Amino acid sequence: MQDFVSLLPLIVVGAGAILLMLLAAFEKLEVETGALISMVFYGAAFFIQLVVGGGPQDVIFDKIFNGMLATSNFSMAAGLVIFGCGFFTSMSCHSYFGVNKFCTLDFYAIKMFSVCGMVLLTMAQELVTAFIALEIMSLGIYILVGYDRTRLTATEAILKYLMLGAFAGAFFTMGAALIYGGAGSTKFVAISQFIAANPAGQPLLIGGAFFIFIAIFFKIAAFPFHAWVVDVYDGASAPVTGFMATALKAAVFALFANFIALSSGFHGQWIDFLFWVAVLTMFGGNLVAIGQSNIKRMLAASGIVHSGYLLIALVAINAEQFTGSVIGYYLAAYAVGTLGMFAAMSYLGGSGEKRVNFDDFKGLAKVRPYSAAAITVFLLSMAGIPPTAGFMGKFYIITSAISAGQMALAVLGVVSSILSMWYYLRLVISMYFHDASESFETQGAPLATISTFVLVVFVFAIGLYPIVI
Amino acid sequence: MEHTANYIGLIPLLPLVGAVVIGLMHMFTCTGKAFSEKLYGALACVGPVLSFFLALVVFFHLRDLPVDQRHLTHNVFTWFAVGDLKVDMAFLVDPLSGLYLLFVTFIGSLIHIYSIGYMAGDENFGKFFCYLNLFLGSMLILVLGSGPVVMFVGWEGVGLCSYLLISFFATDTENVLAGNKAFIVNRIGDLGFVLGMSVLFWAIGSGGFDYLSLKANTHLLTPGVGIAVCLLLFIGACGKSAQIPLYVWLPDAMAGPTPVSALIHAATMVTAGVYMVARFSFMYAHFTTAGTIVAWVGILTALLSAIYGMFQSDIKKILAYSTVSQLGYMFAGVGVAAYSAGIFHVFTHAFFKALLFLGAGSVIYALHHQQDVWQMGGLKNKMPRTYMTMLIGALALAGFPPFSGFFSKDEILFMALANGHTGIWLIGVLVAAMTAYYTFRLIFLVFHGTPRNQEAYDHAHEAPAVMTVPLIVLAAGAALAGVLNLPALFGGNMVVSTWLEPSLTEHHPHMSHGVEILAMLASVVAVVIGITIAYKKFGQGAEEPEFTGFAKLGYHKFYVDEIYNAVFVQPFKGIGSVISRFLEPNVTDSFVKFATWIYRKAGTSFKALQVGYVRVYALYMVIGLSLMSLFLSQSIN
Repeated sequence: MQDFVSLLPLIVVGAGAILLMLLAAFEKLEVETGALISMVFYGAAFFIQLVVGGGPQDVIFDKIFNGMLATSNFSMAAGLVIFGCGFFTSMSCHSYFGVNKFCTLDFYAIKMFSVCGMVLLTMAQELVTAFIALEIMSLGIYILVGYDRTRLTATEAILKYLMLGAFAGAFFTMGAALIYGGAGSTKFVAISQFIAANPAGQPLLIGGAFFIFIAIFFKIAAFPFHAWVVDVYDGASAPVTGFMATALKAAVFALFANFIALSSGFHGQWIDFLFWVAVLTMFGGNLVAIGQSNIKRMLAASGIVHSGYLLIALVAINAEQFTGSVIGYYLAAYAVGTLGMFAAMSYLGGSGEKRVNFDDFKGLAKVRPYSAAAITVFLLSMAGIPPTAGFMGKFYIITSAISAGQMALAVLGVVSSILSMWYYLRLVISMYFHDASESFETQGAPLATISTFVLVVFVFAIGLYPIVI
Repeated sequence: MEHTANYIGLIPLLPLVGAVVIGLMHMFTCTGKAFSEKLYGALACVGPVLSFFLALVVFFHLRDLPVDQRHLTHNVFTWFAVGDLKVDMAFLVDPLSGLYLLFVTFIGSLIHIYSIGYMAGDENFGKFFCYLNLFLGSMLILVLGSGPVVMFVGWEGVGLCSYLLISFFATDTENVLAGNKAFIVNRIGDLGFVLGMSVLFWAIGSGGFDYLSLKANTHLLTPGVGIAVCLLLFIGACGKSAQIPLYVWLPDAMAGPTPVSALIHAATMVTAGVYMVARFSFMYAHFTTAGTIVAWVGILTALLSAIYGMFQSDIKKILAYSTVSQLGYMFAGVGVAAYSAGIFHVFTHAFFKALLFLGAGSVIYALHHQQDVWQMGGLKNKMPRTYMTMLIGALALAGFPPFSGFFSKDEILFMALANGHTGIWLIGVLVAAMTAYYTFRLIFLVFHGTPRNQEAYDHAHEAPAVMTVPLIVLAAGAALAGVLNLPALFGGNMVVSTWLEPSLTEHHPHMSHGVEILAMLASVVAVVIGITIAYKKFGQGAEEPEFTGFAKLGYHKFYVDEIYNAVFVQPFKGIGSVISRFLEPNVTDSFVKFATWIYRKAGTSFKALQVGYVRVYALYMVIGLSLMSLFLSQSIN
């Protein structure tokens, strides 16, 4: 029974996806209704997850899935973040597709399938399951990215993402094969037992894990596997970009953390390696970001930097103390800020996303003071200014790095966050220190606007009352 | 009654919530149609009045407890914990803060009600009440805080609100400058407070950083550190309570609306310094050297500002200097270890000073913002209620028996004498005469004689009930509050002193009744002399004199403002302009600009790597993969 209850959120979203797919076949339903239906399912899944999260700590699905799936507090939290992302993205989509008319009902169905994949990924305790979940998620995202078939940049984005994604996926399978060759099992638990029993270096295991890391690095856009992210985020429509930046990252990091935490014997050998990846990701991301004049591209690049911070938290994981709560909190804090940004972009962007550059937002504060204030809050949260959620997230990460003895990493993290001010504040300057040359008229339903302001509240609420699981 | 402690948190919360609600209402309507003044007024008064009733509940609950258990604490949440320093957002009600709570909320409420009348018609009516509520809320946090850190929150809160309210009529540059002055001078004091707090934490903070733990650990302090802490904290008190050398902001603070002056002088802000010294009585009593310095600074401030007060022509400035002078008495009291006497003077002063300010406000309101006493005269027929109540306030301020000021001031002077500070006592008696003189100079010039400005006189009228009722209530308090602490000499049993005893560390010296009677007679005689001289000079009407010699020096406040300006302000401005003209553009900026140049260049070159070709991106991945494998093989072997 407990097994079933723990799976219920996943089942609810899956059922919702199938329902929407069937409804789409009749072509009777408005697209807007589809957004609302999907919101209902996300909301239901979120609350079930919230209630179940209060139950027993870990559920390992030994009977029905032979231990291939497990839930923990951490995967529960990641699931909450993902459902939340789905919910708010649907709100943004509702407004966005009121103006940009290329959406069909299938869009929401595919998004929900993708969410199923993500949630499955957070629970995966076995390499093949993880791979399947990863592909369920990715396939959905590929479609969403290229949904606007008439637009060249979208088609370009899907092509790049698909090719490079396939390339990275190959590494994952290769790595899984090597690990199976070394440890004789693909289950995390069995692998970690094997490592504990054979502490001497296992070339097959190390090589396999290395390949899996590469695939994950690609998904989270760690340096130097980051190059695709800017073009793809730019090509996708604003709500989809927001969805990718938050939900996908949460899911992959959940997998990454589970993988590293359970395979604790590995960890000592990865620290130096992860250290450099984290540092290069933060600074490389910053450098990419400052050169951008397009806000979506800037946010894509800043997403690279945030992956860098999350890598710091992974470095700080050790066998005794799992810093999952820090990662979970940071994912939530980052998701709230980023979703807010993209929600605002969704309704301010206008038809065909005519406003996407820094210059397009000149003087927004004069015409739409509340929207500009909301965007400023999100930017400050991403930059890590108190009392926002982003500040607390960075604070926890830096503290965990210090307590793990990674002083250099903590200092570099702070330096990177100072550097990131450059491009965040640039948008604030555009909005506040210039005169408006246009009226920033918006059309369509107000759901994205509402979600923007709800998310402002969340930024402060999570920042002032940090709930660390 | 078990849960009374849980209400404590509500007492500061209610005005703060009021501030937020009113502030939001004002913010959202500041460009459109504003809400009605009645709504704002009602909302503004709800918080303080409810807080007053809650304070009453808590106070009576406290009274019912056995003497040695009279402290209620309410821990709202753990604010922060870093290493040894664990600070709870916790509130403490003991006899001292209980008494403060009562009169702060009571007088604060009256001033709120009065302000509805005084501020009527102001376009920023909502903003004013938002600040006023915030002011009261901050003061309540200051009073209720269970340790120095929470107190500091309120301490800074009242500092901020005083700034906002003093420069409330911000269209006038002078008001803004006055606000700046108050804020900057207070910052200097705050630095002392922070330093004192830090040294105290460094010395004994690891045993807990709230008053009760600090009190228990005071004996661990070495005399040097202890005196340093006391004096640093006292610098903070000097800033907030306008003592030498930081008193200069208070007279300028008269630029704010009159109810604000009343609130600053009577219920909040300036009494905070005295409260702080009393709160730390366990330290000042332990390190008597520090106490003596406090007492001397206090009595000299009293003397200096009494001299100033005798020559001023602005009705509010006279009252302002009288506040500085009375605060000097209070510090003299707490300095000679007569904490309960000092606090009792705060208590009575709150009534008569609020009364005098609100009365002055009523006069100013009647004369259409005329504040020069040489333009007034004969108003007692036009404004009988204001006159009668202000007369009571003046008698209390002058310390005429049996009005409240007499008992509290006399208690301080007597305690100074009893504790062997004869010099302080002598100056105190002298100041009492001067106080009586300038207070009645004000009364005679404003209300007696013939009108000096006929046109203003003809238009003068009594204030509306919303303003006079608070005056009458306060007058009753000013007249009768002294009875609360009736000394044994008059058959009383010092209710307030006995009440405060568990909170304070003080010793009651024994002096014969004979000495007490003599001391009392001396101050009564001094007061009578002061009033007589004032009557002789101003009672029958007088014209504005040309000041010469000492009087001119006094009128110009011994040029202290000018000296401060020349010695501190101008040199700092000079250093600032050197830095801004030379050091910053030529030295520091060039480093910063160089750093940004490098960063920008690096960004541009990195952007060039985003070529947009999938094959190149794949190549990056392969290169990265190769380098990583190389790195791994190196680090593992």
